[in-house]
Order: sequence, then C-alpha cells, then structure tokens
Amino acid sequence: MKRISDHIEKSVAAKLMIAIGLLMIVVSFIFWYTTLQKQKKDLMSIAVKYGTSFINFTRQSTHYSMLQFQREMTQKALENLSTPAGVENVNIYDHSGKIYFSSDKDRLGQSVATSSLACTGCHTEPDRSSSLLKSRQTWEVHENTEGSSVMKVIGTIPNSPDCYTAQCHIHAKEQNILGFIEADLSLGLIDEALLKQRLALTAYVILFVLVISLFVGIIIYKIVSKPVQTLVTVMEKVAGGDLGHSVPINSTDEMGVLAKAFNSMIKDLKEARDQREEWTNKLEEEIQKKTAEIERTHASLIQTEKLASLGRMAAGVAHEINNPLTGVVTFSHLLKKQFEPDSDADKDINVIIEQAERCSKIINNLLTFARATPSEKGEVNINEVLSRTIFMIKNQAKFHHIKFDLSLEEKQLVITGDTSQFQQIFLNMFINAADAMNGRGTITVVTRSVKEENNKFVEIEFTDEGCGIKEEDMSKLFEPFYTTKPVGKGTGLGLSVSHGIAKHLGGHIKVKSAVGKGTSFFVRLPLTDQSA
Amino acid sequence: MKKVLIIDDEAIIRMSCERSLQAEGFSTGVASGGREGLEMIEKEKYDVVLLDLKMPDMDGMEVLSNIKSSWPDIHVIMISGYSTVDTAVQALRCGAVNFIQKPFSPDTIISAINDITDKPD
Repeated sequence: MKRISDHIEKSVAAKLMIAIGLLMIVVSFIFWYTTLQKQKKDLMSIAVKYGTSFINFTRQSTHYSMLQFQREMTQKALENLSTPAGVENVNIYDHSGKIYFSSDKDRLGQSVATSSLACTGCHTEPDRSSSLLKSRQTWEVHENTEGSSVMKVIGTIPNSPDCYTAQCHIHAKEQNILGFIEADLSLGLIDEALLKQRLALTAYVILFVLVISLFVGIIIYKIVSKPVQTLVTVMEKVAGGDLGHSVPINSTDEMGVLAKAFNSMIKDLKEARDQREEWTNKLEEEIQKKTAEIERTHASLIQTEKLASLGRMAAGVAHEINNPLTGVVTFSHLLKKQFEPDSDADKDINVIIEQAERCSKIINNLLTFARATPSEKGEVNINEVLSRTIFMIKNQAKFHHIKFDLSLEEKQLVITGDTSQFQQIFLNMFINAADAMNGRGTITVVTRSVKEENNKFVEIEFTDEGCGIKEEDMSKLFEPFYTTKPVGKGTGLGLSVSHGIAKHLGGHIKVKSAVGKGTSFFVRLPLTDQSA
Repeated sequence: MKKVLIIDDEAIIRMSCERSLQAEGFSTGVASGGREGLEMIEKEKYDVVLLDLKMPDMDGMEVLSNIKSSWPDIHVIMISGYSTVDTAVQALRCGAVNFIQKPFSPDTIISAINDITDKPD
C-alpha cells in the first residue's frame, strides 16, 4: 500500500490520472443522477396525466347512475373499474369524508382520515371550514402494504344543474363540491421501467468511465509518462557522469522541446568536459615541459654558479700565486747567470723557468675563466673585433703558417657586450683551430646574420682543416677542464669560457666535425637591432 | 745610471726587482706601500718607479696620479698580478709608460726600463 502511495507521490502521470478519474466519476454521477431524476419526473407526469384521465373517466361513467340515484349500479361500476395490477382502489366520498362508494366493499360507510390527501390537498388545516390552498395537490405517491409504489389521485365532483334539479333532491344548489373521487393506481410498471433504466444507465456510465479512463490512461502514458520516464532515465545516467546518451524523443510538443533542450545541454556538457580534459592534458604537458625547463635552468644555474665560484677562486689564487712565481722566475734567471751556458745546472734551471712559465700560463687561463662575466657593456661591431683579433695574432709564432680566409657580411653586425669577451671567444676559436691543424692550414671565417625563433643573430663560423673531433668527445666539449690537447698545452677552459660568454649574452655555440677533415664552430650572438 | 723605486706590498716582488736591477747596475729603493713610496719620492729623486696596481694601504692608480701630478718627469711602470686590458689601458692613459703582468722575468723588467731610459726625454 505504501509502495503504491509512494509511486503516486512520485509520478506526475499517476496524479494526473487520479485527478481526471475523480473528475470523470463526479461528472458521470451528476449526469447519472440528473438523468434518472428527469426520467422519473417525466414518467410521473405521464402517470399523473393518466390518473387524472382515469378520475374523469370514473366521474363520467358514474354520473348517470348517480343522477338516477341507482346506488347499486354506481357501486358495481367502481368494483368493475378496480383491477389487481393497475387500479388498486377507487372510492367516492362526500365533502365530509364519508365513503359512499368503493371498489373495496369493506370501506363503505367509513370516513376518510382528515390527514389524508382528500383534505390536505385543498385545505390549509385538517378542517373543511379552513381556508383553501392557492395551488391544489391532486396526487401523491405512497407505498402500499406490499411495499410497491402506489399513486393516489383525487378529483372533485362539482355541482351542476342536473345534480341539484334531480328528483332525489339530495344536493342543494348552493353546494360547490358534491364529493370526491379517489383512486389508488399501482406504479409497479413505472417502478420496474425506472429500475431497468437505472441499471442500464449505471452500466453505461461505468462502462463509459472505464473506457474513457483507459483511453486517457493510454494517452497520458504515451504523451507524459513514457517520455518523462525516458527523460528521467537519461538524466540519471547523465547525472552519474555518463554523457554518451541522448533522449530519443522527436515530438514537437513541450516534451519534445524539453528533450531537444536537454540533448543540446548534454552535448554542451560533453563538449565542455572534452575541452576541460583537453585543457587538463595540455596543462599537464605544459607543466611537464616547464618542469623540465626549470630543471634544465636549475642545472645550468648550478653549473653557472659552480663556474662563477671557481672563477672567483681562480682569480684569488692567480693573484696570490703570481707573486711567488715572479720570485721563482727572477731568482732562477739570476741563478742561471752564475753557471756556464749549457752546463747541467743551466739546463736544470731552464726546467725550473719553463715549469714556472707553465704555471703562469695555467694561471692566465684561469684568470680568463674568472672574467666570464662582462665588466663593461657597449655596442660592438663584430666584423671589426674579428679583424682586430686576427691582426693581433697574425704575428704570433703559433699562427705563422696559418692562412686566414675571411668572408664577412657587408652590413654592420652590431651586438651589445664587452669587446674583450668577444675577443676572448675568437681567440679561443683561433687557438683551437691552430692546435687542431698543428699550426698549418687555412682557417675560414664567415659572418652572416641569421634568424632563429624570430630573434636575429649574428653567426660567426670558424672552419679549420684539422683532425676533427671524435664522436665521444662531442658531449664533453664545453665542460670546463676537459681537453684533448697534450698535458701542458691546454687547460680545458677555452671552449667552456667561450660557451659561457655566448650563453650569458643569449647566444650559443654549435659544432660540426668530421674526423680527419676538419671542424666548424658556429658562434651565434643576438644582434642589438632586432627590428626587421 | 737611473734610480729605480719599487713600490709593492709583496716582499718577494720587491726582492726580485731589486736583485734583477742591482745585477744590471741600477740603484734602487724599495717601499712596501703607496704612502711610504710617495714619502720616499719626496725625500729623494727617482727616475723610474715600478708600481704595483693593488696594494692594501693605497690603490696603485691613486699613487700613479699623485706621482704624475707632482713629479711629471718620473716614469712609472705598472706591475700587476691580476689585470685586464681595460686596467692596462686606464693606467697608460693616466701617464704610466708600460704595464707588466706578473710573473715577469728579470729581462722583461730590464728591457722595459731600458726602453724608457733609451728614449730621449
């Protein structure tokens, strides 16, 4: 029971059906009731008509015998009029209520009760001298001893000239009403007809309510309940996060509009979710990218910091060591003078001097490394710096047998930075090239302006004809203190310093090499003028 | 023979220069700081000053400009253990005649001094 009431509570269709059903029952009952009442009334008015006709007929059929004062004949006539199925009783009585003639012989001579319709139908009080009612009641329905309906009809016997002039002289001329005719007519047939009609009508109404309810139910189920249920099912799925559904309703009514709106909402939701997922994925990718970038930057920062502290330490060490070295060199030279040239002692002292000079070289390189950060920044023409550097080194012993092949970009290539730092890079490139070629060959230098990721760079290419760089050395090329040169020849700082300078300025150095053929270094530095 | 004053806070440099120069017959004086050096120049006349760039009591550049403003005839040769091209250029602009980087051999010093003294004043 509770489940049914719960279902009704939750179902719009059930509520609608109950409301429509109740309304139909009420309307049908009113129809049923009024129809039956109308029929009853119609039948009663017909019965009254027939009753009145019967009274008139009785009056006329007994008129002559009463004028002739043939009482036997009158009595006989009444007895004949009475039939068991139709006319139950016919009485004629005078104004005082005394029964003169009756189809029931037992009632002859009796008086009609003052409470009966004979009196109350015309008089306001149960007294014949009381005043008369405006509208008279000539019939009433009551039940007989057997329980079936009986209609009592009453008609007057008015005075007329042949009455008061008759030989019997019973009635005076002044009397208005001489007596009454009263008949009890059985309504059994009418009752039977009414019952049949009531049964038929009831059956019709019930059938009508049932059929209409069934149709209304089907219509509500089809139009409301089923679509709502479909909608609810899909909505529950969607609410559960499953957006791969749509409502299969194609009607043009409000339900269809609702389904269409809901479908478009699901579509929007799905799109939004897809977009969100896409964003999330993108964001994750971006985060991973940024994390990797940060890690790289971090690593490079650590490297830079390492190099910087190394540089500071080198500067301090260089400064301190140069003083004692001066002493070593000076006193070695002074000592050398006390021995014969080419004597053993002279040769030994030469070793001391050479080694002291080697120390000095190492220290000079360390100092260069310490100067990796620029001291003074300015606008520098790269072609000019290149030419000056080449001019400076040309006369040095290392470059005596080296040819320089220059191919410089005609327009000015201006970059911002410290001239000495650029010289440092170029010098390192030239020294490396010369070492790679064992001091003999051609160094080709090319400058050009290039574009990289929308930034403008100057590219300086240094190509030698040297031994080339082995594949396994490539990755360590820019690491500080990494060198392939023989001990005492290189410190492994040249490329690392150059790379550090280029990176610090926003550029980089790239290498291409073929073992046995030569190496090309490409130094890229950002141009000051980035406008097109 | 020219008189040379060596101003350096490092004893080994003073000793090295003194010995190198004396071996070549130069008369020398030594000062362990800028102030002491300036006092010595005031008392005695020197032709050449070997001046260290970095000293604790007084910066070599400051000493150089003091010497150049009071005794423009004195030739100053800067010596430094740790220098850049810029400092060298700056020193030369301020009136130094040469710039020698440590460590140096006796020959470097001698030839640098000879270069000046050979030149006609």
